[in-house]
Amino acid sequence: MGEELSITIMSGVDDGSLLRCSAAQGDGQKIAGYWVISIGRQDNNDICLNNDTFVSRHHARIHVKDDQLLLEDRDSTNGTYIEITPRDDVQVIEKAPIKPGQLFRVGRTWLRIEPFE
Amino acid sequence: MRHYYIGVEHLFIALLDIRGGLTRSILEEQGLTPDYVSDAIRRKIGKGSQRRLWAGTPSTPRANVILDIANDLALEDGRTEVNERDLLTAIIEEGDSMPVRTLKALGVDTAHMHRMARTRAINRSTQQPYIAVDFAPGMNQTATLTDEHLLILRRMFNGHARIRVERQLMGGFTQALVLVVTPINADGREDAAVVVKIDDTDHILDEAQRYETHVKGILPPLTARLEERPVVPEISNLAGLHYTLVSKPGVQPQDLRAAAAEMGADRVGYWLRQQLYAQFGRTWWQQRRPFRFQVWTEYDWLLPPVLTLQHIPEGEAGAADHVLRVPVSRARLHQIEHGDTVILENFTVQRINPERGSIQLATGRGNEATRRAYQVDVKNIDLNATLHYRGEVIEQIAGRVWQTRQEILMNAAAILEPPFDLNSGEIHIDSPQPRTLPNPLLIYDELLYYHVNGSTSKIHGDLHLGNILVGPNDTPFLIDFEHTRDGHTLFDWASLEISLLNELIVPAVGSSWEDACTIVEYLAALNAQSPLPRIDPEITLACAPLIAVRDIVQESLANAGYWDEYYIALALCALRALCWETVPIGGRRLMLLVAALAINELLSGPDTQAGSEDKTTPDDSTELPPPS
Repeated sequence: MGEELSITIMSGVDDGSLLRCSAAQGDGQKIAGYWVISIGRQDNNDICLNNDTFVSRHHARIHVKDDQLLLEDRDSTNGTYIEITPRDDVQVIEKAPIKPGQLFRVGRTWLRIEPFE
Repeated sequence: MRHYYIGVEHLFIALLDIRGGLTRSILEEQGLTPDYVSDAIRRKIGKGSQRRLWAGTPSTPRANVILDIANDLALEDGRTEVNERDLLTAIIEEGDSMPVRTLKALGVDTAHMHRMARTRAINRSTQQPYIAVDFAPGMNQTATLTDEHLLILRRMFNGHARIRVERQLMGGFTQALVLVVTPINADGREDAAVVVKIDDTDHILDEAQRYETHVKGILPPLTARLEERPVVPEISNLAGLHYTLVSKPGVQPQDLRAAAAEMGADRVGYWLRQQLYAQFGRTWWQQRRPFRFQVWTEYDWLLPPVLTLQHIPEGEAGAADHVLRVPVSRARLHQIEHGDTVILENFTVQRINPERGSIQLATGRGNEATRRAYQVDVKNIDLNATLHYRGEVIEQIAGRVWQTRQEILMNAAAILEPPFDLNSGEIHIDSPQPRTLPNPLLIYDELLYYHVNGSTSKIHGDLHLGNILVGPNDTPFLIDFEHTRDGHTLFDWASLEISLLNELIVPAVGSSWEDACTIVEYLAALNAQSPLPRIDPEITLACAPLIAVRDIVQESLANAGYWDEYYIALALCALRALCWETVPIGGRRLMLLVAALAINELLSGPDTQAGSEDKTTPDDSTELPPPS
């Protein structure tokens, strides 16, 4: 499969927008065999969340290899969380596996990785 | 939630707020209270940051999608306006928003909810938010309620079918409207009566905020409470709030002024001590932390503005005669005369009066009372040209002196046609007993710089007969917490004494200067703690509440037996009431003499000779220390 990823913003002022990343268009970078997408408030991130002050400048990264996904927290101030059940969130320490369709939160913004097509 | 956008969560919470609405009733059937659901949504989404990152309040993309769906549903149904059913259906159909996810997490069957949203008949009463306003017999409706008042009342009692305005409580001498209102449900059931207050938006918001910070935690179990947020319509300068009361159906609270007529003076005195002071005392006036203060820091704000200026627009000022800056120098203030040009620096805006084109400034620093000290009114300001807001610190503003505090006080006294010379240092009274008292109008300023040993407690800040309510079984209620703060403990009792004098004693005696002098005899006896004179047994009886107040004060004195701190408070409260045009003339005459008598006691008291640290001492320095 091509290196592509769609992420939906699930809360905040951009709630409902779909963001697409594609290696073919120059998004992300290769690190140790993974395709890595960066998330943060600064505009040099692949996914830039500049409407949430609770997001750090370089907040988190998603590592992609085949259909394996890892969510990494980059020592952010307000943390990165994965929703395990709808009522239960777990903080990401360093890296944690994540599945398409699962919600995760950086700062105050909820995001969701859309299933691969 | 501090979100500067409209998202699905806000739409959904708004649906939850419609009393008797579709969303609420469907959820309630599934065993969930609207508050619980909205709380779960809030927790999931979190609060935004204080900073706004964009202008205006945009809708989120998802909210736009949902609004489009709702619009389509309305059109399919042949309507042009979206209703609750459309919006709820659209939110559930979209299905991916945080509120819907939260509902699912709470175990709500959203498919069932969708079916209900589509099919259930909407309760007619929620479709018609019009609330009938009735008046109890004897209420003169047209005189009191304007359309704006009615708008606020209807909004406040949204969800009720009708309300009945039972009576108007005569508040203080302000323009606030205070009503006792009984809300009535659609099925005819009457809820307990509440006390509604309608006033300028600023005042109402202040009061609600003060209630939260100062009052909420320290009320006795049975009393008036503010349980709902104030109603603040955008299209009006007025706002409203209401106090809920624990009361028996059919028994309405009344203010102490009205109650006093039924109770009789004797019982009012007893009630003040045994009910009001006993119930509220522990968390309010009995805190009494030691507090040494300079009088102006607590009391300057009671007096008229130190200066009233006519605004001079920027650039036209030229050289000013005086510059007055915060912290205010007393010496410099005294040099300012009528007609001088004055530049004010670093004063804070307290109040803006668009109708009169004036603003009120004050020091804006220090504790609650100090912040309002050294009030300066600036009139003839073009408020359209310069935008001012409350709390703004104005670096520089210039004006020509229109009136000084001294002039305002002198004018207020002159219209009372006193039988003595207002420019003389002493006031002579001939009957019923010859007395020579100091002229308060010439000495009050000195008083402001005395150092006083007192105590600080939680005080009501505006205690008068209209703000004290008597509920069923004689339960005491306090309302109107707009000025509640930590402050000089005795202030409340001094202002209550002034209120008792004006509302109970003067009407019982009369409003001539002779009558005022007669009352002074009684007060002098109270001060001396000697038996009351036997001029008129009725006056003696009417003094019962005053004796109760004095008993409470005696208990509250910082140094047992030293009444100075009370006389100062009393004198300044009396001077304030002297300037209130809403107080009948007899009351204002008495106020001048009350101030004179109190200052007399202060000057002739045993503890003014000594300059000891423990005593009330006149200030000998001319420059003020900066307010803390």
